[in-house]
Amino acid sequence: MRILLKIILLVVTGIIFFTGLAFAEEHFFEIKAKKFSYTPNIIRVKIGDKVKIRLVSEDVTHGIFVDGYGVETRAYPGQDGSFSFVANQPGRFTFRCSVTCGEFHPYMVGYLVVLPNARFYLYALVVLFIGGANLFFISKKKA
Amino acid sequence: MKKQEFIAIIIFLFATIGVVVGVFAIEKYRLSKFYTVELIARAPEHGNWYPAKIKVPSGKEATILIRNIETVTHGFAIPDLNVSAGEIKAGEVKVVRFTPQKKGIFPFMCTVWCSDYHMEMRGELIVE
Amino acid sequence: MEKEKLFGLIDLNWRFELTKFKLVRWIFKSRWFPLLALIFNLSVFIIILLAGFIGGYSAGNYNFGVMIVWILWWVLLMLILVPFFSRMWCMVCPFPLFSDWFQRGKLFEINTGKHRGLNLKWPKHLKNMWVMNIGFLVTTFFSGFFTVRPYATFVLLGSIILLAFIIGLIFEKRTFCLYVCQVSGFQGLYSQFAASEIRHKDEEICKKHALKTCFLGNEKGYGCPWLLTPFNFKKNTYCGMCLECFKTCPHDNMGFFLRVPGKDLLIDEKRGMDEAWKAFIMLGIAMVFFLSMQGPWGILKDMVRATTLKGYLTFIAIHSAFSLLVMPGIFFVFSYLSKLASANKEVPLKKVFINFAYTLIPIGLGVWIAFSLGIILPNGSYILHIISDPFAWGWNLFGTANFPWTPVFTGLLGYLQGATLIIFYLFSIAYGFRLSKQTYPDLNQAKRGWIPMLCFLTLITLTFLWLYLG
Repeated sequence: MRILLKIILLVVTGIIFFTGLAFAEEHFFEIKAKKFSYTPNIIRVKIGDKVKIRLVSEDVTHGIFVDGYGVETRAYPGQDGSFSFVANQPGRFTFRCSVTCGEFHPYMVGYLVVLPNARFYLYALVVLFIGGANLFFISKKKA
Repeated sequence: MKKQEFIAIIIFLFATIGVVVGVFAIEKYRLSKFYTVELIARAPEHGNWYPAKIKVPSGKEATILIRNIETVTHGFAIPDLNVSAGEIKAGEVKVVRFTPQKKGIFPFMCTVWCSDYHMEMRGELIVE
Repeated sequence: MEKEKLFGLIDLNWRFELTKFKLVRWIFKSRWFPLLALIFNLSVFIIILLAGFIGGYSAGNYNFGVMIVWILWWVLLMLILVPFFSRMWCMVCPFPLFSDWFQRGKLFEINTGKHRGLNLKWPKHLKNMWVMNIGFLVTTFFSGFFTVRPYATFVLLGSIILLAFIIGLIFEKRTFCLYVCQVSGFQGLYSQFAASEIRHKDEEICKKHALKTCFLGNEKGYGCPWLLTPFNFKKNTYCGMCLECFKTCPHDNMGFFLRVPGKDLLIDEKRGMDEAWKAFIMLGIAMVFFLSMQGPWGILKDMVRATTLKGYLTFIAIHSAFSLLVMPGIFFVFSYLSKLASANKEVPLKKVFINFAYTLIPIGLGVWIAFSLGIILPNGSYILHIISDPFAWGWNLFGTANFPWTPVFTGLLGYLQGATLIIFYLFSIAYGFRLSKQTYPDLNQAKRGWIPMLCFLTLITLTFLWLYLG
């Protein structure tokens, strides 16, 4: 059972990795920051893609920090910030404002989705598997 | 009243009134001992610099404690005296030290775009 | 009775007494505990109030009050205190100290005579969670203010402590804690899942002990301030862990036990619509909080922080309708399906609805733990700043005042949140089928009736998984 799971996991990550390498693209996003949201607020890329981001502030000083990738930049009004990174981890990552910009600053976030969102599908599969197993065991129960 | 009840009440008073009095006493002592003046930074629509006019004696080292009590970044500079605190982030406290040599009135201002009225965020330093 | 085993592994009746250690028992029996912890907490609370008042409208993320309450305390509550130690927060909560002192006339000693104040009984039809349900929901309407504005935190906490005192003047003992306090309701609900409990050790000793000093009080301590009967109560829900029963028991028969998490869910005592709705409200609030605080949609944030009155009212309306009507509505449909599937005509639908609502407690707690991880990992580093400079006056008590904002392990956040949801989903379904057996008398009915509920729980888990990770 456990070995089977391991093999599936290996195959899935293998496919993701190699298809990722084969179709890697370069993406450029200009993210506008304004109290207390980003536009675009969700950016989607494929695994292996090179991502370049320019942050433009439309009101006060803002920043951007991407969970998992640890890259950060900040933008002053009239002075942009930028960084680039290779999206080598799949899943959804939150990017957050890194400069206190107002009272809702801790809630100023956006999402970077590196497709395929293997993390989510894996967890969802586990949930469905557990549910199915529960049903199976219960149907076997005798008084 | 028994001894233990008395002790409990003493501890209670210490934890409440004691804490409040202690906090303010420490702050008062700290301000008078180490700083010439305390300056509060707020965007013009929220009250601007407070106090808007600060006085310091000439020839002596002035220590100004600048507190940004707002939710955006401010800055502080006295261009005529070549004094700058750089960026002061929201909630941050910075200290500038300088020794003014000449008497007069010098404007100080915010150096970071903090609001639509940023340009009005200025005050005066009076050297006596 | 055959031994019930959770996941087929752990005996549900397993418990381990922590108070058998001399030191723990000595602490629990001392009158200085929890009084000293409580007074210490009060001093922290005074600093919180002071910082909230001084902080005014400044940025909450650099304010001692906002950070200690909404980052540290809230997360501590959901992550550690409630799941492991039940209502341990209530043990050290400073809110009712003033009314206790007023009623008893003594801070440390025991007043065996008459208590001051009106000492009225709480109305019987309000002896449930409804006031707390509504109170907590209404409090969350202002979440866009008090989690970010120091002054709003000051007003909120100040008014709760005032309310605690006023209720204490009018009603008996800890009526405020039992039936009014906003924070009490969800702690009561989720403490049913907690991995520890305060109970009597030996049933026989309590039966022989005619004068129930744990309820009446004696010269060693007060009769249960939470109006429970320590000699036979079975659920954590309304036990505030004030430890008076450890002091009043002449036979040393009270114990603090580690136990299997979630045991209380199977105890059919005082189950009701109020607790069912509490479970719905908590799930609804978690969803709304996540969307507005950890979601990327600026339009929701503008609604929650009331940039326009219309937007704010829309938020309140949708938020309330979702928690009070939509969630229970969907759950009702599944309860109805469960009854249909079971083909049992005798069991009232109300019983099906209420019993199965308790399956939402583990997953609800899991949802909140996952949500709390999303608060503490990115923002926990602020705490280093604010403990060194609690009033934003430029202090540096511990040398950490200039520690920059540093998100910790946020790359793993999704993994941790997903794993948390799965663990608590496991608990939910493990208890779910047992609740099904309690609801339907026949095993086959229980099996069939369980299927729609399993679907609902799976759906809820997948929904939150999608919210957090998808």
